[in-house]
Amino acid sequence: MAYFIQLFFAGIAQGCIYALIGLGFSIIFKASEVINFAQGELLLVGAYVVSAGVFEWHLPFLLALVAGLVVTVLIALLFERIILQRMIGRPVFSILMITIGLDIILRTAVIIIWGSQQIPAASPFNTISGINYGGVHFGANDLWTIAVTIVLCAVLFYFFRYTRYGLAMRATALDQEAALAVGINIRTIYALAWGIAAAIATIGGVFLAIDSFAIDPTFGGAALIAFPAIILGGIDSISGAVVGGIVIGVIQLLTAGYESHVASLLGAGIHEITPYIIMILILLIRPYGLFGTRKVERI
Amino acid sequence: MSDVSTAAENAPSPTTGASPLLKVEEISVRFAGVHALTDVSFQVQSGELFAIIGPNGAGKTSLFNVLSRVYQPVSGKVTFDGHDLLRYRAHQVARLSIARTFQNLGQFPNTPVLDYLLLGRHTRMRSGILLGGIYLGPTRDEERKNRAYCMHLLELLGLERYANIPLKLLPYGLQKRADLARALALEPKLLLLDEPVAGMNLRESEEIASAILDIKEQLGVTQILVEHDMALVMGIADRVLVLDFGRAIAQGTPTQVQADPDVIKAYLGEEFGEKAVSGGNGANVALPDANDREGA
Amino acid sequence: MSLTATEQKTHASAQPPRFLGSRSRWLGFGIGVLLVIMFFSFASEDWFSIVNYTMITAIAALSLNVLSGYAGQISLGITFFMAIGAYTAALLGGTPPTSPLDPQGFGLSFLIWLPAAGVAAALVGALVGPVALRLRGFYLAIVTLALVFIGQYIFMNVAPITGGPQGRSFPIPGFGDLAFNQQNDYFGIAFTAGQQYFALILLVLILSALFVANVMRSRAGRAFRAVRDHEVGASIMGVNLFEAKMGAFILSSFLAGIAGALLASYTSYVTPDYWSLTLAIQFVAAIIVGGIATIWGSILGAAFVFGLPQVIDYFSLLPTSSNSGGLTSGNLNALIYGALIIIFLLFEPEGVIGLVRRIQALLHKSNRAKAEGGEPAEIIDLSSGPGSSVNLEDAAPVKGDSE
Repeated sequence: MAYFIQLFFAGIAQGCIYALIGLGFSIIFKASEVINFAQGELLLVGAYVVSAGVFEWHLPFLLALVAGLVVTVLIALLFERIILQRMIGRPVFSILMITIGLDIILRTAVIIIWGSQQIPAASPFNTISGINYGGVHFGANDLWTIAVTIVLCAVLFYFFRYTRYGLAMRATALDQEAALAVGINIRTIYALAWGIAAAIATIGGVFLAIDSFAIDPTFGGAALIAFPAIILGGIDSISGAVVGGIVIGVIQLLTAGYESHVASLLGAGIHEITPYIIMILILLIRPYGLFGTRKVERI
Repeated sequence: MSDVSTAAENAPSPTTGASPLLKVEEISVRFAGVHALTDVSFQVQSGELFAIIGPNGAGKTSLFNVLSRVYQPVSGKVTFDGHDLLRYRAHQVARLSIARTFQNLGQFPNTPVLDYLLLGRHTRMRSGILLGGIYLGPTRDEERKNRAYCMHLLELLGLERYANIPLKLLPYGLQKRADLARALALEPKLLLLDEPVAGMNLRESEEIASAILDIKEQLGVTQILVEHDMALVMGIADRVLVLDFGRAIAQGTPTQVQADPDVIKAYLGEEFGEKAVSGGNGANVALPDANDREGA
Repeated sequence: MSLTATEQKTHASAQPPRFLGSRSRWLGFGIGVLLVIMFFSFASEDWFSIVNYTMITAIAALSLNVLSGYAGQISLGITFFMAIGAYTAALLGGTPPTSPLDPQGFGLSFLIWLPAAGVAAALVGALVGPVALRLRGFYLAIVTLALVFIGQYIFMNVAPITGGPQGRSFPIPGFGDLAFNQQNDYFGIAFTAGQQYFALILLVLILSALFVANVMRSRAGRAFRAVRDHEVGASIMGVNLFEAKMGAFILSSFLAGIAGALLASYTSYVTPDYWSLTLAIQFVAAIIVGGIATIWGSILGAAFVFGLPQVIDYFSLLPTSSNSGGLTSGNLNALIYGALIIIFLLFEPEGVIGLVRRIQALLHKSNRAKAEGGEPAEIIDLSSGPGSSVNLEDAAPVKGDSE
C-alpha cells in the first residue's frame, strides 16, 4: 500500500510537470492556434542554462533559474515576433514544420555549445531531502513541483479571470477579429502568450531536470508526453491541460511501478508508451479530447 | 405562403407533366441551435431552370449543402432521379450526375484549369493507383480521351488559352467560368449553380446568363440556381423558390413570385433597392421578365 | 450578347504531360545517362557509399512526399513503416539462426524479401490508415508521432525478429553466392560492391520515381491533390476521401518499407532505436527543403539532408562527430536544414524546386500566357458540348505520341 501511495504521489508530481508543459502548449494554442513543437527544446535550453549557470558560472540556483527564464522567454519572443508573425494564415502543416525547424535549431545549438554528453542537473535540494511519513518518502522536489504548480495555476487563473491582459488574451482566443475590433493589440497578446508559455515550460523543465539528476540533448523529448496530456484534456482547454497532465503522470508512474509484474507479458518500456496508447484511444472516440470544444465547420 | 404560390407549386411545370427529376420534401436543417431550414419543399422538372432566391442567411446554400450531402437534414426526404438522395454520401452525389459549382472560389488555387476539369471528370474515369502508376495502356488512353474532351469543353467556353494556368492566376470572372466548365465536365443531369454571378460586372453576368440558357436549351441539363441578383433570376428562370429565414415563402414563375405580397414584404421592397452589388433596379421599376432576355 | 462559333483546333495542351516531350528534355536525359555511366565506371567506393546511401533516402523521401506532399496527410511516422519493411526483410532474408538467441531468418533471396518488405509495410499502412483518416492536421501529426514511439517499443521487445535492444544484422542482396557486398564477376567483368549496390538502388529509385510520377499525372494523383487542397470540395466533385487517403497511405508505406529494407541492408546492422523520431523529422525536412509534391524535390532534399553531411565528412571539412560539442558535420548540417526549413517555409514553400521554377520562369518569360490583359474569349456555342451525343472518340483528334 505504501508502495502504491509512493507511486501515486510521484505520479502526481510527474503529472504536474506534464501539466506545466501542457499549459505552455495550451496557452499558445488558445492565443494563436499554433502547436509549438519547439516547446520541448525551450525546456531543454532552459534546463541547460540553469545548469550552466550553477556549474559553469557559479551562480546561486535562483539566479541561474532567472537566467534560464530570461533566455527562453527571449527566444520565444524573438521567434514569435520575427518568424511566426509572417506565417499568419498559412496552412497548419507549414506552421507545424516551422516550429519543428526551431526545434532542430535549438537542439543542435545546445549540442554545439555543450556537447552531446550528459551534464549534471542543477538542484537546490539534496537528494534525500523531503518528508517521510507512513513509510512513504515525499521527495522535496516532488513537493515543490506540486506546490509551484498549484501556485502557478492559481496565478494564471487570477490572471485570466481578473486582469486586463488576461481578459484580452481570452478575448483573442475566442475571436481574433472581434478582439482587434475592440482595440486589443493582437501582437502584444501573442508575445505575452509565447512569453508565458516559455516561462512555464522552463519551470517545468527545471523540475524535470532535478528529477532526472542529469540532462542531455534528448531531454526535450520529454515534452512530447505533454501531447497526450493536452489531447486528453482538450487542446484548447487550460484546465484540461492540467487535468490531463496529472492523469497521464499518474497512469505513467503506476504503470512503471507495476511494470515488472507484467514485463514478461508486455515487455520493458510499456510505461513510456501508455500515454500514447491512451491518446490514440481518446482520439478514436473523442477527437476533441475530454474538455475540448467541437469545431463547427461552415462550408 | 400565399394562394398564388401554392397554386404554382402544385401546377405541372411548363416543360413536361412527367414526374420531377428532383423532389424535396419537408427538409429541415439545424445546427448549434440555428434553424437553417424549416420544412422546405419543392420540385424541379427535368430540363427546367429553377432558381432559389432569398436574402443572406435565408438558407440557400444550406439547401445546396443538403443536396450535396454535406449537411444532414434532421427531417425530410429528397428524391433524385428515382434515388433516395439522403441515403447517399457526399462523394457519391457526383456519380449520380449531380454537379455543383462553388460559391466562393479559392479551394484549389494552384490547380491548372485543365487539371481542374479533369478533376471534375473524376467519377467518369476509372484508373486507380496501380493502373495509374503503370500508366501505359488503359490509363494513357483514358487520359488522352478525357483531356481531349476537357479541352473541347474549354474551347466552347473560351478558356482554352488558360488550360495550363493555375486557377489563382485567372481573373475572378474567368475562375467562375472555369468552375462552370468543371461542373459541366461531369456531364451532369442536374447542375447546381451556387451564386454564379456573384462579384461580376454587368457584362460578365450577361455572359454567364447566356451560358446558363445555352446549357438549358442546347444541352437539356436541369439547373438549380441560387442567386442574389434578382434581374438575372427573373430574366432567365422558369420557376423560382423564395426562402426567408429558412422557410419557403413563395414558389412559382418569376411573374407570380414578383407579385406575391409575402415576397415583396419580406424581400423585394427596400432591401432590393439597396443591393448595389447585384446591379438591380430600384423598388419602383418593373423587373425584367422572361421575355426580355435578348435585351439589356 | 451574341454567340459566335469558331473552329476546333488541336491543342498541344490536350496531350497528357510527357516526360520526354521536348528536345531540351531529351538532351537532359541524355546527359543524365552519360553522367550515370561515367559515375558507374569511375567512382571510388567512398563515393559509391555516399551516393548509394543518398539514393536510398531519396526513395524514403519520395514515399513521404506521396503521403504528405501530394495527399496532404501530415506524417511524422515514416520511420515506423521503414522499420516494418526492414524487419520483414530481415525475417525473410536473414541468415538462419545458429543459436537460440539469434534472431530469426529464412535466408530467402532479395528478390523475395525486398518486394515483401514493401508489401508488409503497405499492409500495416492499410491497418493504420483508417485510424489516421479520421484525424487532421495536428492530431494526425501527433498520432503518427506516437506510432514511432509505439513502434520502437514493439521492436525493442520482439527480439526474435529484431534482435531486441542489441539489434541484428540484415540480409545482403545478391544472386546465390554472389552477394553484393563483395566484388563479383558477372559475364567475365568484375564489379565492385559499390557498383552492384548502385545498380540495384538506382533501379529501385527509377522505378519508384516513374511509378509515382505516373500516378500523379493520372486520376489518382489529381484526387490526392484535391484531398490535400480542400476535402469538402473534393468530395463534392466525387472524390472518395477514404479511398484516396487509404491509397496514399498504402502507396507511401509500400515505398517506405522498401526504402527501410534497403537502408537496413546497406547499413547491415541496426538497433531498434535507429528508427527514431529524429530520423523521421529529417525526412520531413528533406521534402520541405527539396520541394513538396515534386519528384525531383524528394531526391534533392534527400541529397541535401542525408548526402551533404557525408560529403562534408569525406572532405574532412569538419570533425565527424564529437561528444564535447563544437561544430561537426552532423551539427552544421542539422543547423542548416533546420534554418532552411524555416526560410523555405517563410519564403519559398515549394523548396528548391520552387526556386528552380522561379528562375526558369524568369528566363522563359514568354511562356506564361498573359492572364491579365486582353479580352477573355467569348463563350461559344455549347451545342456540341457535353450532354449531347458527343462521343469521346470524336473529340478533338490527338496527334499520336511516341511514348
